[in-house]
Amino acid sequence: DTWRYAHEEYEGDVQDVFAYKFKEYVEDNSDHTVQVFRFGELGESDDILEQTQMGILNFVNQSPGFTGSVIPAAQIFFIPYLMPTDEETVIEFFKTSEAINEMFPELYAEQGLELLQMYPEGEMVVTVDEPVRSPDDFQGKNIRTMTNPLLAETYRAFGATPTPLPWGEVYGGLQTNILQGQENPIFWIESGGLYEVSPNLVFTGHGWFTTALMANQDFYNGLPAEDKELVQEATAFAFDYINEYVPGLSEEALQTILDSSDEVTVTRLTEAEIEAFRARAPQVEEEFLSMTGETGRELLEQFKADLEAVTN
Amino acid sequence: MSDTNPLAGQSALPGVLGMLDNAIARIESFILASGVLLMALNTVSNVVARFVFGESLHFSEEVNRILIVMITFAGIGYAARHGRHIRMSAFFDLVPTQARRYLMAFIAVVTGAFMFFLCYYSYTYILSIYSTGRVLPTLNYPLWTMYVWVPIGLAVTGIQYELTAIKNLTAKKVYLSTSVKDGFDEPEQAIKEQE
Amino acid sequence: MATLMIITMIGLLLLGFPMMVPLTAAAILGFYMTFDGFGQMNVMVQQMLGGIRPTALIAVPMFILAADIMTRGQSAQRLINLVMTFIGHIKGGLAVSTAASCTLFGAVSGSTQATVVAIGSPLRPRMLKAGYKDPFTLALIINASDIAFLIPPSIGMIIYGVISGTSIRELFLAGIGPGLLILALFSVYCIAYAYLNNVPTEPKASWAERRSAVLKALWPMGFPVIIVGGIYGGVFSPTEAAAACVLYALILEFGIFRSLSASDIARIAKSTGLITAVVFILVAVGTSFSWIISFARIPQAILETIGIADMGPNGVLISIAIAFFVACMFVDPIVVILVLTPIFAPAIEASGLNPVLVGIMITLQVAIGSATPPFGCDIFTAIAIFKRPYWEVIKGTPPFVFLLLLAAALLVMFPSIALFLPELAYG
Ligand code: NA
Ligand code: NA
Repeated sequence: DTWRYAHEEYEGDVQDVFAYKFKEYVEDNSDHTVQVFRFGELGESDDILEQTQMGILNFVNQSPGFTGSVIPAAQIFFIPYLMPTDEETVIEFFKTSEAINEMFPELYAEQGLELLQMYPEGEMVVTVDEPVRSPDDFQGKNIRTMTNPLLAETYRAFGATPTPLPWGEVYGGLQTNILQGQENPIFWIESGGLYEVSPNLVFTGHGWFTTALMANQDFYNGLPAEDKELVQEATAFAFDYINEYVPGLSEEALQTILDSSDEVTVTRLTEAEIEAFRARAPQVEEEFLSMTGETGRELLEQFKADLEAVTN
Repeated sequence: MSDTNPLAGQSALPGVLGMLDNAIARIESFILASGVLLMALNTVSNVVARFVFGESLHFSEEVNRILIVMITFAGIGYAARHGRHIRMSAFFDLVPTQARRYLMAFIAVVTGAFMFFLCYYSYTYILSIYSTGRVLPTLNYPLWTMYVWVPIGLAVTGIQYELTAIKNLTAKKVYLSTSVKDGFDEPEQAIKEQE
Repeated sequence: MATLMIITMIGLLLLGFPMMVPLTAAAILGFYMTFDGFGQMNVMVQQMLGGIRPTALIAVPMFILAADIMTRGQSAQRLINLVMTFIGHIKGGLAVSTAASCTLFGAVSGSTQATVVAIGSPLRPRMLKAGYKDPFTLALIINASDIAFLIPPSIGMIIYGVISGTSIRELFLAGIGPGLLILALFSVYCIAYAYLNNVPTEPKASWAERRSAVLKALWPMGFPVIIVGGIYGGVFSPTEAAAACVLYALILEFGIFRSLSASDIARIAKSTGLITAVVFILVAVGTSFSWIISFARIPQAILETIGIADMGPNGVLISIAIAFFVACMFVDPIVVILVLTPIFAPAIEASGLNPVLVGIMITLQVAIGSATPPFGCDIFTAIAIFKRPYWEVIKGTPPFVFLLLLAAALLVMFPSIALFLPELAYG
């Protein structure tokens, strides 16, 4: 059969690499073919999720931040300083977490989606018009965020003015100083050329850009046992590859940025500086809880317990 | 652009139907005009807020999303009523008047049918959105309510085209809509009108 | 499937259906064939609504509204008078003034149609009275209004920017050079026409009249400052510039000129809403059309067939130019941009062409195609507005089309005509 798979990034980006690894495994190990659709080909992020729910697409890769309007609890990844910054711990967390591997699948199942894998794409890095080391430095700066209410709350807590804008307006907004900053994983900052117009990179360590591969549940449940296994194996194959790929990618992207611009500065906050930001996280956590109620509370508690388990 | 026909707002239908038609026309123009003005107010306020208070209005984008759906789907009915949908009439104009009347009636019937077709599927789409409970993220406004205009607008447009078909079958001239006649002016008339 | 969709679309188009129908019919056919029935029509509706969702599209009704307020108020007339007092008296001056007024008004208006109304309606009778033939006059108005499509703001550029992810503000700046080039070419032709046909000249304005015209036009000249200056200087995004124009137009016409009353505003809003709806319903159904061809992988198939991979950047640019030009001779420009941009997107990306240059080339071709017989849709706008028969309207167009094609050739040879300004602004 032909399986249709859509994601929300461009050629060569993390989700695209994941998709093509998945495709490679499926096509090498079965008679099925996988058609990959990239960003914009079948509409926006919301559209491809809906199309998967309708059963037109078999697989969809969507970041939980965009899933927020359907599954509010998926916004948990926007709570700052919830996750550790070192890559090995994060990957270990995604592999072992009960919240990720047992609670999330249930939330997605309610929407007719089979959650196959959640995975981190990279640490969130803030780019600003001048280096920022404290919440005071953020004062009066318009920081672009994805159109997601909880993320806006994070930047409000950090002292900045959150400015939700669609991706298409980010580069121009930075260039013309309508925006003074934005956040993204480093490979996006590199591939989108954002460092050209917003050259001061600040590693705040507040979160990871996370994404998820899902399948239409009726489609998945209707597959014969060997195909289900094939899907699981292909997912694991792509996941393993990505776990090797992402750490190297971040270093590579940063090097490319440093090589192509003299203006770029890199600021890594010290533990003491991070503490000043971390102190503001509870306000976002509260907002999350007020948005998501009991489901959110249980998920958050499990999240913390799982993190406890991997860090100790 | 000016309304080409001063009587274009008056229904060509008789009796109760005409009254109903006029009422719909008034509601349509009200929605259309207030939609545009609200959009202008919202967009301008957002700019003023950013420059004067240094912070954009968070709901502004979503309000405009609601309004644009409203304007588009109230507007297509209004445009059908005034014969203003964009069309390519090179061959159409070459056809003799009597045959053109029938061709126009055919076009209107089929166009109306397409509108009803889309109307039905926009209704089923809204049902599916309703069942997922999807909301606009900032306003927390249920998405299906902003799409209610879609089937209504398509239905009104469909009805307008079917009425246009009847008009062409019953009248002696070619009509682009129930009240707008197809036809030409002489260049001299343009000079006269200006004076 | 692609062939059947195209045949359906062109067939219905030629019969004289409203343009939303051929697109809808072709899209429905595509859905029916891909999914073996009407089981997935919900996606068609989803994509219709998705098509009118992007925030940047809000700039379209806002620019239309600003232009509408100016046309019903005094601003448009004041701009015309400014141009007339300075160049009205030269040989062919009235014709050159019409072209220049279209350019100047184009700096407020995003659409060809709005410009035809604002400039064509008052100037056509004057040109006829002065002795210009109607076919020349109509052709001039139709083609000069296309300059408005290139001078920022431009609805075509906004829609191209939205679907291709290209910076709308860079497109805006890049349109200015080619717009002025076309104005220069048209002016030369107008003067030559006046000499050849011995059109009498208008009386020369006195310096006092000129001074008064300048003073009166100072306020409306604020629009280009807001749009170009605001975007260039980094004050506004295109949508914000549109909102600022609306605010400025309201202040001018209601506050300063007092040319409009509160009761006019409802009428203006209605007319803006009407034009917006007529364009946006095409954007809506056009988006469904591109979804289904994208889903069926038709762009890849078409590009492979024409062998675009081996063409090199200039080959790709010329192929795009030809495709958009030919398509616009038949279909509304908005529809063409919606349908063809996604088809060419993979080739544009692979060729390494500057997407801003491609955008300007597309906008220019769209402008030319839509003024080119047999079916260019500007011709039908003019038919609707001036109530003249088709054949009368197209008689005068060939020389203008030739000049526009010359401008396109110059753009391929010297891309800096377009890229000069954005490079100056953004390095
Ligand atoms: Na313009
Ligand atoms: Na045009």
